Amino acid sequence: MKILTTAKKVVDVELTIHVENGAIVKDGLQYVINAWDENAVEACVQLKEKNGVDTTLVSLGSGDNTDMIRKCYAMGIDNAIHIDDPALENADSFVFAKVLQKVYEAGDYDLIITGKQAQDTDSGQTGIILAEFLGLPCVSNVIAIEVIDDGKIRVSRLGDLGTEILEVTLPAVITVSDGINEPRLPAMRGIMMAKKKKIQVMDLEALGTSYDEVGGGALKSEVAAFMESEKRQGGQKFEGDAAEITANVVGLLVNEAKVF
Amino acid sequence: MAKVLVIADIKQGELKGSTAELLSKARAIGAETAVVAIGSNIESLAKDLADAGSDTQYIADDESLALFSAGPYASCVVDAARQSNANLIWFGFSEGGKAMAPRVAAQLEAACATEITDVVLEADQITVTRPAIANKVIQKVKINTERLVAVVRAGAFEAAEGLSGTRNVVKLTAPEADLKAVIKELISDAGGEIDLADADIVISVGRGARDQSGVDLVKDLAHDLSAGFGSSRAMVDSGLMAHNKQVGQTGKIVAPALYMAIGISGAIQHLAGMNGSKTILAVNKDPEAPIFNVADYGIVGDLFEVVPILKEEINKIRG
Repeated sequence: MKILTTAKKVVDVELTIHVENGAIVKDGLQYVINAWDENAVEACVQLKEKNGVDTTLVSLGSGDNTDMIRKCYAMGIDNAIHIDDPALENADSFVFAKVLQKVYEAGDYDLIITGKQAQDTDSGQTGIILAEFLGLPCVSNVIAIEVIDDGKIRVSRLGDLGTEILEVTLPAVITVSDGINEPRLPAMRGIMMAKKKKIQVMDLEALGTSYDEVGGGALKSEVAAFMESEKRQGGQKFEGDAAEITANVVGLLVNEAKVF
Repeated sequence: MAKVLVIADIKQGELKGSTAELLSKARAIGAETAVVAIGSNIESLAKDLADAGSDTQYIADDESLALFSAGPYASCVVDAARQSNANLIWFGFSEGGKAMAPRVAAQLEAACATEITDVVLEADQITVTRPAIANKVIQKVKINTERLVAVVRAGAFEAAEGLSGTRNVVKLTAPEADLKAVIKELISDAGGEIDLADADIVISVGRGARDQSGVDLVKDLAHDLSAGFGSSRAMVDSGLMAHNKQVGQTGKIVAPALYMAIGISGAIQHLAGMNGSKTILAVNKDPEAPIFNVADYGIVGDLFEVVPILKEEINKIRG
């Protein structure tokens, strides 16, 4: 069985982000692997350990993704492809899904596992749209994957009414939530091995397509401007005798906030 | 003219509040309104759907739709969108909505935007506002297609007073089941618990609770106040709380009238899931905890000491 997984390099959400003239100030930003993609990579490596599957990572985007890809190699991924094309800078989810479709079709994969959303856009669309383009079954927000046989997996999904257990016929697309696992810290041996591994880097042309063909010429949506989000102001903070300050706060909830 | 199709949020046979909120917004922008309801034994909801502010009710009522299945449910929405010719197709915030919206958009070749907090129509140009990067920035997104499929962020729109609609039911044919992703079992969330998504009060517990006794103490307060009971990620990771209780960027996004963060330090991912709440009360031992930067009222103290007093004081008022 062959699994394709995705990793996006995203801005580190722990750091302060400034906006100037409708754009994010790039100076001083740091980039990390999208947390949910890290869960997807871990899920692949666990399936490799349990079921002997072959794992391929694909990363889309322009610029140097080497550190991120080496980290995924160190975690246990077998092969990695980087679609490095400056045209992808402002792409929407549909464009990313089209590029992934091309990658999928160039290989022979049985399963695609992606993070359920990217930390930078918080959109949660690409994996599901990819499945639509490919005409494959798709389950999102998954917290467990188990191989039944070469043609079937069982997954658990967090739904609105509880945990849904589904049997899915392969090939399929699964998007995972962070509840699925705790990504491993790569061991030293893995880190050393990762340094020697090759990363297949190609642009859209080498992938056999073009920015226009993947919909870049007709984006369905584009970010017109960024704004700083309104910061919520802290209010009143009370320290001292627990009984006194708690009674005081309950009084404020009643009389000032009028919530009771 | 704008035509809005709202996907009714139905849980266990009951119409949830987000439906009226979305229809109110549709009315406010002067749009024609339609609603699509999907499920089994839901025909009796037709009146509620009209009263929530819709002029047409598309209803897909079939035994095969008793359990959520993203493929067939999305097909029903696409069917209603085509019949109503809606250019704005809105889901309320839910896991089902998040699973369906990109499918519906792909099938209609429409744009897709999730977590929107506002939508503006000027001439034929649709623009939406949405938070990104764990709420650290706001994006203004220009929609280049005539049609937009969107998931509306919890608490973004308010239900108007005195809504009314016209009863005009259109029955939809149930689509074929998805034989490639078959739901085998639904392990229901503990019965009788208050739904986090539309509770007026949500009380969440964090690492400060230490162990089961701390969790039980906070849970007891939530029970007393008929509040939704949520959790920080740390408590889910430690196994003390279930995944579906997690409030935050990756879990449930809530915007209740009152949010109580009990023993939660306030990681950015948690704040992203609750900072739309009207009033926030935080209880934490550490006076420097980041949660106090967003809380309207902060009590610095050990939750084991504070929560019983909080419970007693609130019960006094409520009689």
